[in-house]
Amino acid sequence: MAAFKRKRGAHATAEKTAKKVKFVVDDGNTEQDAVHEIVVPAPVSMGKWTNKERVLIFSSRGINFRTRHLMQDLRTMMPHSKADTKMDRKDKLFVVNEVCEIKNCNKCIFFEAKKKQDLYMWISNCPHGPSAKFLVQNIHTLAELKMTGNCLKGSRPLLSFDPTFDKEPHYALLKELFIQTFSTPRYHPKSQPFVDHVFTFTIADNRIWFRNYQIIEEDASLVEIGPRFVLNLIKIFQGSFGGPTLYENPGFQSPNLHRRQLRLAAAAKVREKQTLKEMQKEKRTAAKEDLEKDVTADVFLTPAEEKPALIQTEPPEPQAGKKHKFKPSKRQRQQMARR
Amino acid sequence: MVIALKTMESAEEESLLGLESEEEDSELSDGELQEAFTKGLLKPGMNVLVEKTKKLVNNVEGLKQCLADFRRDLSWVERLDLTCLPAKDALSQVEGKVPTETNGGPDAEDDFQREMFFYRQAQATVLEALPLMKMHDINTRRPDDYFAEMAKSDQHMQKIRQKLTTKQMILEKSEKAKKLREQRKFGKKVQIEVIQKRQKEKKAMMTAVKKYQKGMSDKLDFLEGDQKKGKDSSGGPSKALNKKGPSAKRKYKDQKFGFGGKKSGKKWNTKESYNDVSGFKARVAHAKGGKKGKKGKQNKRPGKSVRKKMKGRS
Repeated sequence: MAAFKRKRGAHATAEKTAKKVKFVVDDGNTEQDAVHEIVVPAPVSMGKWTNKERVLIFSSRGINFRTRHLMQDLRTMMPHSKADTKMDRKDKLFVVNEVCEIKNCNKCIFFEAKKKQDLYMWISNCPHGPSAKFLVQNIHTLAELKMTGNCLKGSRPLLSFDPTFDKEPHYALLKELFIQTFSTPRYHPKSQPFVDHVFTFTIADNRIWFRNYQIIEEDASLVEIGPRFVLNLIKIFQGSFGGPTLYENPGFQSPNLHRRQLRLAAAAKVREKQTLKEMQKEKRTAAKEDLEKDVTADVFLTPAEEKPALIQTEPPEPQAGKKHKFKPSKRQRQQMARR
Repeated sequence: MVIALKTMESAEEESLLGLESEEEDSELSDGELQEAFTKGLLKPGMNVLVEKTKKLVNNVEGLKQCLADFRRDLSWVERLDLTCLPAKDALSQVEGKVPTETNGGPDAEDDFQREMFFYRQAQATVLEALPLMKMHDINTRRPDDYFAEMAKSDQHMQKIRQKLTTKQMILEKSEKAKKLREQRKFGKKVQIEVIQKRQKEKKAMMTAVKKYQKGMSDKLDFLEGDQKKGKDSSGGPSKALNKKGPSAKRKYKDQKFGFGGKKSGKKWNTKESYNDVSGFKARVAHAKGGKKGKKGKQNKRPGKSVRKKMKGRS
């Protein structure tokens, strides 16, 4: 299926049914094998896997290394995820729904990078359900050396939410979306039966902070595994990747606007300085007012008395030379003192 | 832009004006203003241009409806989700810090507080979830012989471990260096004191020796002082020669010509060399004992002042 380059939006139904058939056959085969041969173990699920939740994680073109690593980390953390190739930006967003259908996924996490700077994340319930768009910031991946924890690959996570999620309707919707997307289904074939890490979603400063901790001991000592990121909600839509807007975040400022504001502030500063300089220049070169001459100012002026001019006719007397001054030596001085 | 009036406006007028102003980007021209005035929209008083507040969508009903449709009522075991407040922080209580948690969430600017908030939230969740998980037979600890692929490779964990150990080492080294520096300062003080003490002793010794030579004092106490110490250390009477070993001349010759090895770097201002007053000979220094000392040289060269006098006379 992945070998040939398929056109997006085509061959949807045929493959879907084919896959289902395959699955049933496999199940039957393995069960029979289990009866006759002890070597091949039965699948983990044994028919218990009922929560068929699959998440498609992929991105658009133009993402940088950090985003790519984040995507890979999410795929590692979620065994119920599937990967797909990068989507061309020329395609409209609703094409993502078709991609999800092809891959038989009912949830989708789509990363979109704009200007090679800003990263947007869409989380959506694919056929009809709600979707949300976030701006992602402060990304730290699994590979960072400060994240010292480790967990089983495919172990089920414990999800922890802030009580603030229950207070607002839009947060409640997001909570449900997160629960359905991030929790690994029980008895998923790729999952491990242990619960050894916990995802926390907290609301602070109008943003959603995501952390992942490893549970070391039963007394709840934790170490961070990573990844970690911050989600800034932009909009919630009723449909998947479209549809009427249900909620808009009033506190959201587009990164472009933010950058623009910074630039304007800097420009304003410079302009202020320039105007100050110009003003000073003008002051200096401006025509200065001549003060009016006060006639009464000369009233109290009294001219000084005239002194007779001294003319020297004779040269001055020579001063006593200081160079060859006779200074007696110490001994002589002592002798003189004695006398 | 909307022309806001000092008096109250009805919503209709506002929307109308809004529509009008949205049509052009610049301020309303005179013609339009006149029209608005005739219509009665503009009233006397100051008319100020005000930014139209953007209406943000918050469709609460829609959200609730959507949630109701979207919700899947799975058992807790499938979801494993919990909502709880962070655990009580004993340390902050002790210190008496007022938590900003009452505002709804931690202060996002204070990094440490924020991270501690998240950590405590996770802790509270784990503590709450453990009994629930036990009920459903889910383990958090895997058995020791259970080897499975981990999210981070072993190589990566090795790197992390190495980094931690290097950090630790650097810290220890810096601690050691600080201690050494402190010690050295202290040691320097002690050294200075000791040197001063020694200088005092030497001075006292020299004055005592001079006094004895000049005949001002008959006592040989200064010698005894050393001898007493020497006696105590050696214990028992021994020949003077033996005590000193080979003579000074012999020693000097040995040092200079014999035994090979490094000759340079032998003269150092060490404790021993400084304290060593053996090289001092009073007779040589003060030019005393001519006949006994030097029988060979009969014609002893007179000193400078004598020579000068002789020169002056002749």
